[in-house]
Amino acid sequence: MLTFGAAFLGSAVESVEALTIVLAVGLTRGWRSPLYGTLVALVSLAILVTIFGQLIVTRVPESTLKLIIGTLIVLFGLRWLHKAVLRSAGVIPLHDENKSYAETVSEMSGAATRQDWIGFTIALKGVFLEGFEVVFIVVAVGGTSGGLPIAVAGGLLAMIVVAAIGLVVRKPLARVPENTLKYAVGVILTSLGTFWAAEGMGTTWPLDFVSVLGIGAVYFGASRVAVMLIRRPVPA
Amino acid sequence: MKFIRAAATEVVGLFVGDWLQTIVSIAILGFGWLVLSRIHVDGLGFVVVVALAVQLIYATTLEARDRVRRS
Repeated sequence: MLTFGAAFLGSAVESVEALTIVLAVGLTRGWRSPLYGTLVALVSLAILVTIFGQLIVTRVPESTLKLIIGTLIVLFGLRWLHKAVLRSAGVIPLHDENKSYAETVSEMSGAATRQDWIGFTIALKGVFLEGFEVVFIVVAVGGTSGGLPIAVAGGLLAMIVVAAIGLVVRKPLARVPENTLKYAVGVILTSLGTFWAAEGMGTTWPLDFVSVLGIGAVYFGASRVAVMLIRRPVPA
Repeated sequence: MKFIRAAATEVVGLFVGDWLQTIVSIAILGFGWLVLSRIHVDGLGFVVVVALAVQLIYATTLEARDRVRRS
């Protein structure tokens, strides 16, 4: 459940960002080239998931896998949590899809030709780079928990849901609580990563996987303390 | 070439926001590995959790103060 949830939420957030780029390109320069770019990026990402997923599941011993991937997930999750804390405290601005959309549109000046390489490249780059984080989340969470198909299903479902909504509304999904989602995914990934990394180090947890909830509570509590400390006015 | 460079930056950026914070996090995990691989006590992993949580508080408040000072 947690594997599916982490893969779904993480993929949904990144898919929203990728959708903004594709929409910006498609609505300003025509759909043909950006859709080709998106397709090439998705096929490349699927190949990466297949190769790395298989390598990880079949070649790496379980404790080594937990230690290395757990450590990487901790670093990845802490980075998201760090940004989420700074956003919650108002130190850095909240991610704004409307602004990202406007920036991408302003990057693309000039009329589109039949074979529009700019549209193709921007869509390919946007989807591939945003999708790379999805690949990491899916392979790391799925590979370490032994539930790669579940994680892949979570990632795919998120992408399909976001793409379907994008197809219907045809504008950036600014109402998705992206920052809250990133905060939640940051807590979940950091907790799962710490759980697996510590298991890879040779320790055991009380109540086994239930401990992830306790770990999550500690990280969430720490993040709220950080937000509170940052918001507190500094005495003159 | 630009695309490859952007992809490489993206890969590193997945795990590293601030180098100091990353080094401290790896040091905590490394120290945790030394301890946890030798002392097998149920729940000792929570020491690593608390250390990483404290590190998160310290790193975020430090960055916030730094940004306020610069602005």
